[in-house]
Amino acid sequence: MINLLNRGGKAMLRGKILTAIAFALWQTAAYGQMNHQHGSEAACEETILRCASKVTPTFGPDGTLWLAWMAGGQISVASSKDAGHSFSAPTQVTKERLNLDWGPDARPKIVVDRKGGIALAFSIFRDKAFNGQVLYTRSADGVKSFSELRPITPSNESQRFEALALDAEGLVFAAWLDKRNRVPAQQSGQKYEGAGLFFAASNDGGVTYSEARLAQDNTCECCRLGLAFAGPGRPVVVFRNIFEGGVRDHAVITFADPATPGEVHRVSRDDWQINACPHHGPSLSISPTGTYHVAWYTNGKVRKGLFYARSRDGGTTFSTPVPIGQPERNPTRPYVMVGPRETAMVWKEFDGEKTTVNLMTSHDDGETWSTPKTISSTMDTSDHPLLVSDGRRTYLSWMTKADGYRFESIEDEP
Amino acid sequence: MKRQFLAGVFLVAFLLSAPASEAPPQLKPFGRGSWQDVLRSHAGHPTIVHFWGVTCGPCKVELPLLGEFMKDHPAIDVVTVSADFVPDLPGATRSMLEKSGLSAAENWIFSDGFVERLRFEIDPGWQGDIPRTMLISREGTITTIEGSAEMADVERWSDQQRAATK
Repeated sequence: MINLLNRGGKAMLRGKILTAIAFALWQTAAYGQMNHQHGSEAACEETILRCASKVTPTFGPDGTLWLAWMAGGQISVASSKDAGHSFSAPTQVTKERLNLDWGPDARPKIVVDRKGGIALAFSIFRDKAFNGQVLYTRSADGVKSFSELRPITPSNESQRFEALALDAEGLVFAAWLDKRNRVPAQQSGQKYEGAGLFFAASNDGGVTYSEARLAQDNTCECCRLGLAFAGPGRPVVVFRNIFEGGVRDHAVITFADPATPGEVHRVSRDDWQINACPHHGPSLSISPTGTYHVAWYTNGKVRKGLFYARSRDGGTTFSTPVPIGQPERNPTRPYVMVGPRETAMVWKEFDGEKTTVNLMTSHDDGETWSTPKTISSTMDTSDHPLLVSDGRRTYLSWMTKADGYRFESIEDEP
Repeated sequence: MKRQFLAGVFLVAFLLSAPASEAPPQLKPFGRGSWQDVLRSHAGHPTIVHFWGVTCGPCKVELPLLGEFMKDHPAIDVVTVSADFVPDLPGATRSMLEKSGLSAAENWIFSDGFVERLRFEIDPGWQGDIPRTMLISREGTITTIEGSAEMADVERWSDQQRAATK
């Protein structure tokens, strides 16, 4: 077409060039269009809950449900006074468009303290090399306003996979994976594996955090952390460690106090020797009796799939791992939580077309578990299933692309 | 003069978009059914399929090694699939492939948000860990290497493929 409009040799050449450019532009446009229709994890591009790819729930002390979500390139929060049936108008926490960490194990974190203060943390990719940065903010006025976003540490080395938790006395504890020790190692000609597990604590509800400190170096760099409290001021972190020989098995650290990490203990000998990003981190919950409940994914020589184990000696030794789910249905994304009446575990299974969320419960602190049952399903992509409790009941929180956000009690009426 | 300048601009634009080996790599959208397309189109040829992603640290180390391997082994088909999680980034993906000497490989990028289903079509047991390499023999036998591949292993496999033709 364009060739017909041109005359002479040079013009012909230019025509061909224009055709090539037009074709290249068309290809880009076609790709963009295709990407828009099918390529996204989200159902839509706006900042509303329906368009979210990741949703994180928490209950405030007054029983209000709070959600923090990622949608339209922004972080937003909203609350519900009726256990997720209706939500307040959302408040957008981020203003400028940030390159939010979209990794499967990334999500915004939210805690609500006794005074109603809301602390948030999340990761962004801060440059073209995908170096991460953990940012935090806080609202003291019921999310009417949020403080300016601040990095959790002044270090400019990559940080990702933050975890945030609040203890019974109002301490906010943050842990994350941090690459800062890579630089000095490489400068001295040493190979540096993985990332450091760093932490900081806040005694003012997340207004300021203590200086970042290292709990354990050379841990796996691309999995979410499991974080809970063994008691006030005693955080416990479960993480995918890198053991001798590049074995990426799980480990636990119990802190003596918010500034003093304890010894590293192994959760399980799965022997997963792999130099890769599994993008599949563990889950931890601690019961009032002090039992640690851990669920994780491995593809080790010793065992493959999802597993559960518990520790009754403060994370020093763990029970023999119990497999979770149907191996032929790809069980993934385990989440364990000690609720008011039972300990519950959810995970996803996939049969090639349909993703289901499956549940099993224990009434004896993890000793025995019920037969798994399917409690939800969807036919398109979905977030990880999460559990949350208001102290009376336990709820499943699950964002799905096709069916929207689901928040439902896992129990019958009390 | 102005016309010559414009022609020059167009020429530069043309060279940048021309499908030569130095040109930025073309990315094929990897969707439902693409895995079978890959298997069909390389049937009978020894083929390396490498799954990687722009945010994966070990992948950044391995990708240039694969580029070297491709240069040294023209008889082996090299296919890359950017299997990072959506939203995938075509720009960053192209740039990393180009820097790794893989512009001329057959390059794909995950383009369906339902990544579980894409992975299931490739290998029902794959949970998404990258890098991951599949060595497909002339007979269609697939050997999967989880995590970073040792290039010595890939060389050995490649030698076996050559020996099988003699």
